[in-house]
Amino acid sequence: MGYSMTLTENLFENLRMELRRGCLTLAVLAQLKQEHYGYTLRKALAAQGMEIDESTLYPLLRRLEAQGLLTSEWREEEKRNKRFYRLSSDGEQIFARLLEEWNQINTSITNLL
Amino acid sequence: MELLDRYLQAVKKHLPWQRQDDIIAELRANLEAQLEDKETELGRPLTKEEAEEWLKQIGSPIQVAARYQRQQYLIGPGIFPTYSYILRLVLTWATVIYAIANAVTIAVSNQGGEAVLRAALRLPEIWLINAGVVTLIFVAIELLSVRFPEKFGALGPMANSMAGPMTAQWSPMDLPPTGAGDGEWAKPRSFTKALLQVLSGGLFLAYVLLVPHYPFLLFGPGEWYLKSLPYQLAPVWWTFYWWLVAINTFELAWKIVDLARGAWQRPKNRAKHLATHALSLIPLSVLLLAPNHVLFLLKNPADAAKLGAALAGANKGVLTALTIAFAVVVLQIVWGVIQASLDAYRKRVAR
Repeated sequence: MGYSMTLTENLFENLRMELRRGCLTLAVLAQLKQEHYGYTLRKALAAQGMEIDESTLYPLLRRLEAQGLLTSEWREEEKRNKRFYRLSSDGEQIFARLLEEWNQINTSITNLL
Repeated sequence: MELLDRYLQAVKKHLPWQRQDDIIAELRANLEAQLEDKETELGRPLTKEEAEEWLKQIGSPIQVAARYQRQQYLIGPGIFPTYSYILRLVLTWATVIYAIANAVTIAVSNQGGEAVLRAALRLPEIWLINAGVVTLIFVAIELLSVRFPEKFGALGPMANSMAGPMTAQWSPMDLPPTGAGDGEWAKPRSFTKALLQVLSGGLFLAYVLLVPHYPFLLFGPGEWYLKSLPYQLAPVWWTFYWWLVAINTFELAWKIVDLARGAWQRPKNRAKHLATHALSLIPLSVLLLAPNHVLFLLKNPADAAKLGAALAGANKGVLTALTIAFAVVVLQIVWGVIQASLDAYRKRVAR
């Protein structure tokens, strides 16, 4: 019984992660219409109910930048050097298209339910 | 904070060296800002235990560093289906070619059962080598298509030219008709077919029983020519003959029982077919194990000086042919067993 509960929990956790993975990218792109550095971005997302681990968010920012969706610059703020990110022009276009896709999926799922 | 420094140092060790400093500087800025927030909230610095707990929550250094690495596969999901298809193809053909080559070598060099066993024991090594070579080729393809996508990106969907039905170039018209995989095994026989099988089995048995009394039925006009030859069959052929009669009688009896029980209305039984096929190995073995490998004798032993060499050649030639036939039947049976096992597995999984 306990074993099968663990299996169910694992399965749920895997599916939840899969479901969240694409949404996280969308949430990060949405939030980076304004400039943020890693930690404030994490706080801003959490304030909107979108909690993300440090070990997930910070590498994700790097990946999105490498893909050309974000731009970044090092700047000093409160006596500390920080890397600030914001949406690039390519990122804005992709984000608009992803948002459209997201709305379609959301509508379909709502209709299905 | 000393613990944070130690933590970042440990993360750095596992990062790609070109970006180590940049990543660590950013991670430090983020974690220090987070630490500051925590301490402001508490109104005091974190205790050693609290700091330890906080860093534990972030994750082990290896885990954190791993997230900054590019996701890498030895053989990625893009080419894995092609890899799996080619691997099965190569292993099947390697087995067939190896088996035929060994059967011929063993037959020609007149080696015994020990050589067959030796060849069979080497089969896993052949599989391993072939699987290793195919795997290495696909690892190289994966590596090249990821590292140099502009030059080798086309290798990713190489299955277009290699795996036919798995890829973009496939056409629905190339697909086999439904049920083709099960072939004749899926269909029950008609009563007429089952009856004809009993009748033909009976006629064949009658024919086999008549041959010793009327050799003409087997050799035709050649019977008179054979009578004029200085050779005759060795007694082992009688053992072979009676095994042939016994097996055919058994099969005929089975067919009659099947007909009486209405078994012809059910799909053919692959296991039964394999078992009867395996029975045919018995008469072949009888000949292969003939005393002193002698299948033919001289009618007049006094002719040994003149005809001995020709006789030895005839014995060796027929034994070689029988060894090859034996190997072919064994391969057919092994292939049948593999197919039956796969079918049984698929049916069990589908339930």
